Amino acid sequence: MYYPYIIKELRHRHNRTLVNILGISFGIALFISINALSSAYKKAAGQPFKDMGADLIVQRAQKQQNNPGSQPKSMRGIRLPFSNQLFSKQDLIELKNLEDINAAAQALLLWEFTKTGFTSIMGVDLQQPALGGLKAKNWIYKGRFPDKKGEIALEKHFAKFKKIKPGSSFMISGQTFDVVGTIEIKEGAQVSAANIYMLIDDARGLLGKSTGAVNLIYLGLKDPSMQNRIKSQISSKIKGASINSSDSFLELMGGVSMISDKFSLIASMVGLLGAALLIIKTMTSNLVERSYDIGILKAMGWTRADIQKQLMVETFIQAIAGGLLGILMGYLISFLLGFLSISIPVPWEMGFVPSMAKQTQALNEIVRLPISVSVSLSASAMGLSVVIGCITGYILGKRTERMKPADIFRQL
Amino acid sequence: MNNILTAANLSKSFKALQVVKDVSLTIQNGEFACLVGKSGSGKTTLLSILSGLEKPTKGRVSINSTSITDSSENELALFRREKVGFVFQSFHLIPTLCAWENVALPLFPVKMDKEIRKKRAIELLNQMEIGHRAEHRPSSLSGGEKQRVAIARALVNRPEIIFADEPTGNLDSETSGAIMDILKHLNKKNGMSILMVTHDQDLAASTDRIIHMKDGKVVS
Ligand SMILES: Nc1ncnc2c1ncn2[C@@H]1O[C@H](COP(=O)(O)OP(=O)(O)OP(=O)(O)O)[C@@H](O)[C@H]1O
Ligand SMILES: [Mg+2]
Repeated sequence: MYYPYIIKELRHRHNRTLVNILGISFGIALFISINALSSAYKKAAGQPFKDMGADLIVQRAQKQQNNPGSQPKSMRGIRLPFSNQLFSKQDLIELKNLEDINAAAQALLLWEFTKTGFTSIMGVDLQQPALGGLKAKNWIYKGRFPDKKGEIALEKHFAKFKKIKPGSSFMISGQTFDVVGTIEIKEGAQVSAANIYMLIDDARGLLGKSTGAVNLIYLGLKDPSMQNRIKSQISSKIKGASINSSDSFLELMGGVSMISDKFSLIASMVGLLGAALLIIKTMTSNLVERSYDIGILKAMGWTRADIQKQLMVETFIQAIAGGLLGILMGYLISFLLGFLSISIPVPWEMGFVPSMAKQTQALNEIVRLPISVSVSLSASAMGLSVVIGCITGYILGKRTERMKPADIFRQL
Repeated sequence: MNNILTAANLSKSFKALQVVKDVSLTIQNGEFACLVGKSGSGKTTLLSILSGLEKPTKGRVSINSTSITDSSENELALFRREKVGFVFQSFHLIPTLCAWENVALPLFPVKMDKEIRKKRAIELLNQMEIGHRAEHRPSSLSGGEKQRVAIARALVNRPEIIFADEPTGNLDSETSGAIMDILKHLNKKNGMSILMVTHDQDLAASTDRIIHMKDGKVVS
């Protein structure tokens, strides 16, 4: 092996070398950005749940829920949201008996319809783990979180809209409550947002049910990867349950977010295959040009293996250079994509806001795309370019096998 | 004197076309033999077979009692690397490599000290009186200089025999004479066996033996 020869060859045919390196780097950059993008969307979709501290939200929709957007004319006062009907005692026992649950919290979500509009009311249980709605107690903007009967906290924007400050009082369905604080909903936590927060017993009182009324259950799992198994367990045990997880967001987001692992693998493989084909193609036409050299090398007693090695190292160097450049380009593309904001649509049954009121509060969350190129992604990109280098080098070597010096020299 | 090369009943066909027909010949150790004949008579083909570049359709070849008749392609490559030197009409130098690298070309696959390899190449270039062009690429050398580099390359592996296919075919008569002198010198002083193809009657006449070829047969 004589390395200066390899370098001289690559330098002499610099256009070809450049095409090869760029070809591989585009393939690698594509591979990196597709993978980074799809995992960024997954991360973004998981964000609302991460902020809530829950992996699953269990609800029960109204039975004849044909058109969630229609509002019965007679509807007034305190109601259960369409998507949040009460769980039966049996349901709650079933849920309690589930295995692999780390933490569970119950809540009662209500809607109040008045002449002028609606409010959503979240009743939480302070005795339970801080999942979902109860997370709001960490997001106090002013004042404190309600901890006694008759106390409420208002969401910041709602309070501002109603021109209510902590210390004043607020009427809900004819009852007077003390406003003890305001709450600022964190970005990404819209799914657990309500206008008004109170203790669950107060909410039960508003609904006219004394004990045990629950229509919203937050579950934290011991192992989030078991999500799907537990989901199907719950839906088999509780008839009509709708269970949401971060996957529900992904489904709604559509587009790029729908890129499954399999698809991104296939797409990036196509990119890489293109790069490999390109390098094989340019190197093969290179071989035609170089058949003269190969004839000389063979005549001078270079064996097949010697020539194979020479070509392997040549393609290998180009693949490594292309791989490094591609990783750099992938980082750059990902960095630029990181400036994108994406909107995460919230499934209607988790908006906690009457759907006819969509115009007042968009059911979308806008977040910056949390894109990043992981070390393992770069490493696998590098590995792939090495593999491309080896394979194309091998194929090229194979093609020189049948070249005979006597034939080559005669054709000159 | 013993034979450096023995060929028996060589035939070579390309599909239906028989190019070499039942050729038997020997070259003696230290002999400078010359192969002449009309264009298309099969000289280059015969030389390729004798030097292990190509396999005969029929017949046997051995050089210094090493038979290459049944050798694999890989064994033939090693055989050429170790025992044979080549000089061609169109020099066949690698354009991207400089003169000394071209000389060292047959040694690159051989495990040996880099410095020794380069030293030997430069030494041979000095012998060919173009040591001063060692770092130059073939494109900047004249035809005669290129052929000197090629002869140095043919010698770098210390071969047992040199095959030269019209080594002066691309050179003017004066340069031809100089190249011929080098080959004769190698033959006389170093005892190198040489089989050369040429069209030049005068050059042929100045060698030890002339082998005539006609229509693929050795006629005398
Ligand atoms: N691979 C091949 N396939 C078909 N025909 C071939 C092949 N190699 C050589 N020939 C034919 O064999 C014949 C002899 O060719 P060769 O090159 O040996 O002649 P030569 O004596 O060296 O001629 P010249 O003096 O012109 O170099 C020619 O007719 C040539 O066309
Ligand atoms: Mg010829």
